Amino acid sequence: MTLAPVVRDVVVAFVLLNGVILLVTYVTLLERKFAARMQSRIGPYYVGWPHGWLQPIADALKLMMKEDVVPAASDRWVYNLAPLVFLVPCVLIFATIPFAPGLGVADLNIGVLFFLAVSALEIVGLFMGGWGSNNKYALLSAMRAVNQIISYDLPFVFAALVPVALAGSMQMSAIVAAQQGPLGWFVFYPVVGQLAFVAYVVATLAAENRVPFDILEAESELVAGFRVEYSGMKFALIQLGEYAHMLGTSFLGALLFLGGWLGPGPAWLGPVWFVLKAVLVFLLVTWVRWSFVRIRVDQILAISWKLLLPATVLLLLVTGFVVASGGGRGA
Amino acid sequence: MTKPDQSVPAGTVVEIGYAGHERLMMNMGPQHPSAHGVFRAILTLEGETVVGVDAVIGYLHRCHEKLGESLTYVQYPTIASKTDYVAAMTSELAYVSAVEKVGRIEVPRRAQYLRVLVAELQRIASHCIWLGTWCMDMGGALGGGATVFLYCMRERELILDLFEALTGARLLYGFHQVGGTRYDLPAGWAAECRKTIDLVAGRIDEYEAMLEGNAFFLVRTQGVGVVSRELAQEVGVSGPLIRGSGIAYDVRRAEPYSSYQDFDFRVPVETAGDCYARYRVRMQEFRESIKIVRQVLDGLPEGPISSRPGVKSVGQVRVPKGEGYARVEGPRGEVGCYLIADGGPKPYRMKWRGASFSNLAILPHVLIGTKVADVVAIMGSVDPVFGEVDR
Amino acid sequence: MARDGAPGFWGEVGQLTVAVGRAMGVTLRNLFRRPVTIMYPDTPRRYPERFRGVLALTYDRETGEENCIGCRLCEYICPPQVIKVEMLKGEKRNYAKRFTLELYSCEFCELCVQVCPTDAIVMLRTFDLATSDRRHLLLDKDRLHALGLQFEHSWATGNRLRDMQAPPRPARGEGKAEGAHQAKEPAE
Repeated sequence: MTLAPVVRDVVVAFVLLNGVILLVTYVTLLERKFAARMQSRIGPYYVGWPHGWLQPIADALKLMMKEDVVPAASDRWVYNLAPLVFLVPCVLIFATIPFAPGLGVADLNIGVLFFLAVSALEIVGLFMGGWGSNNKYALLSAMRAVNQIISYDLPFVFAALVPVALAGSMQMSAIVAAQQGPLGWFVFYPVVGQLAFVAYVVATLAAENRVPFDILEAESELVAGFRVEYSGMKFALIQLGEYAHMLGTSFLGALLFLGGWLGPGPAWLGPVWFVLKAVLVFLLVTWVRWSFVRIRVDQILAISWKLLLPATVLLLLVTGFVVASGGGRGA
Repeated sequence: MTKPDQSVPAGTVVEIGYAGHERLMMNMGPQHPSAHGVFRAILTLEGETVVGVDAVIGYLHRCHEKLGESLTYVQYPTIASKTDYVAAMTSELAYVSAVEKVGRIEVPRRAQYLRVLVAELQRIASHCIWLGTWCMDMGGALGGGATVFLYCMRERELILDLFEALTGARLLYGFHQVGGTRYDLPAGWAAECRKTIDLVAGRIDEYEAMLEGNAFFLVRTQGVGVVSRELAQEVGVSGPLIRGSGIAYDVRRAEPYSSYQDFDFRVPVETAGDCYARYRVRMQEFRESIKIVRQVLDGLPEGPISSRPGVKSVGQVRVPKGEGYARVEGPRGEVGCYLIADGGPKPYRMKWRGASFSNLAILPHVLIGTKVADVVAIMGSVDPVFGEVDR
Repeated sequence: MARDGAPGFWGEVGQLTVAVGRAMGVTLRNLFRRPVTIMYPDTPRRYPERFRGVLALTYDRETGEENCIGCRLCEYICPPQVIKVEMLKGEKRNYAKRFTLELYSCEFCELCVQVCPTDAIVMLRTFDLATSDRRHLLLDKDRLHALGLQFEHSWATGNRLRDMQAPPRPARGEGKAEGAHQAKEPAE
């Protein structure tokens, strides 16, 4: 059945968007259960007995029914638009990720570049939220956020460029195609691959405001940071955006380093492997998150500018030499 | 980093401008996830640096000293635990020690050993709360801090189960009575206690594995909140706060009470004076308390648990005229009770010396010049409990 | 981040890696431990022998009469003064005409149990207090007796508590040692 291309694109985008949102809500449940088991407790249990399967639905319903409290002295337009401006880039990044060769909304030939550029747009929404709330805690948090995310986007980009250099293309399906073969995943690439993966995970932690870099939402100091004045559906949108971004970078990490949809079995099993690998990266980040205390903002910035950025630039240079001397995969 | 502008006094609020020295007055209010209770700190910030601190207390004032005048010597020990509710046994011990000192009432040896036993178990439980809440403040309720918090609570529950088997209550015990203790050990308790202590000792090793050498933890605590030796002596702090600054003052050694001289234990002292030093002092105190508990269980004498008969009437204990001050080493410092008796069944005046009240006086000296994130780390390492501060 | 000192840059990176690995190892180990959560109220809670729970009045085990003689000792000793008793004089013994206990203000300190000469008031091994109306927590004499029949009593009664504090009395002719050691409950 051939549909007009526009109709086909809209249908695929609709299905993908709903799938992504469903996956994001259930990944919150996975994180809660995983964290709970690490802390010798059980996590959500009663809602959707016996293991809290309906907990995310219950949370979504609760947030929809909550009263939407808007501070009287807030900057109306900025305050109300901030969740949207935060959410849209975080969901838009999924448009560039192909889940199988040919199965994706838009497999651009500058896919990685588009992903990295769009995912950095969330800072605008974040800052709008902090500024428009007219709240000192939110303002402090927004200032810290701009500092931190901008500092960590650079090492993030450089670490993500290492597989691009190794594969010789920014198109996502080409990068996956370059990882074929036994031990072909870029995480197994001697030295360069592993270092790039570690740098990618650290930069992801920081760009996502996850502990140990979650100074901007530091619950014990800033009481939810820039989100403090949001309630109800707007808060739900911000949470959705945050987890969608988290999951999106996990998907990118699985694609760049863990071979995307490559795996044993028939071709239709590819998307399943892809989702499993992305969840694995997500769980790795979660494991780190629940094991450490956070560090101060000036120390975070020091790590970024003095340690991570020079290290990733050096790594990229070394990768360039390696590729130039014939070590690259793919065209 | 710009140095704070000293020419503008800390209490004034400057309009936000672009000169780089604009100030923000922020309330780390009584409702705050890391205020350790109800505590209000009005911080004056320049960027992220604290330039002024105005501490407001009194949100938990419940007129304990007036209650001490209205309730008799028999009734008050049951609510004395509510001053330092995290370390209830040591609070009760301070009051009954004061009454026994003024009234010259003997306490039998078995009762003294039991008092030491519960006091040291209480110290372990209280330090569990300290470690858990401190890591939670530093790591967030959604992060590694919560993990350490839940581990500590898991261990504390074991000790609270022991207390529940002993007295019947989990948090506020009413265990001490003038002249001795109210409860004796049930059958099988000593064996259960030994098992629990061994388990807790192993778990403390796990906490140290998680935190010791961890660069994230070390950069948050080393060099942060340094209290010099002179400052500690001048302000009059006590407990791990003063022992972390190099002064080896522990009431259990300075003025031994309740047979502490019979036991062999070390008083840990560190010299650096920062949050990490106070952390090391408390972690070592964990182990010393475990040692003392084992010694008590090995050497517990037989005999009565009270030199006075069981409580039969409300005015049973009468203390002749006199006044006196008794102090104990609580987990937070020196807890003292000053009592003026006039011959009747109630005191004429009773005054609590709360350890946290004196410890909080160090905040204005230590917080100036630190960052907002350090404020929570320092508050956690001072470990105040506001029942003691506000009484 | 880099402190000037002995280890140097690579040494510090090595130390950091080891420390990170150790911390994450602890959390991984706890991932595989059994959770300590007790699924209350599906799993009933085992209250210890001496648990200080809700208060109740008792009947005499042999004769079935009320134990309370209305002496008001519990009323006088209660620190927050939640007990109110009115005595009813009888020929052989006295009773309590009215006995109210305000459970919402009770401290659960067990002093009333300790002073009772006839072991009339005891604490129960239960703590389910939640109601939607505060007046349900103002317990009168009938309610207290009903509670006493409904739940298990704590080991601690007035005489046993006072015996525990009394100095050990010399053994009597029967050969049983009285006093502090007999007053303990049987081994668990």
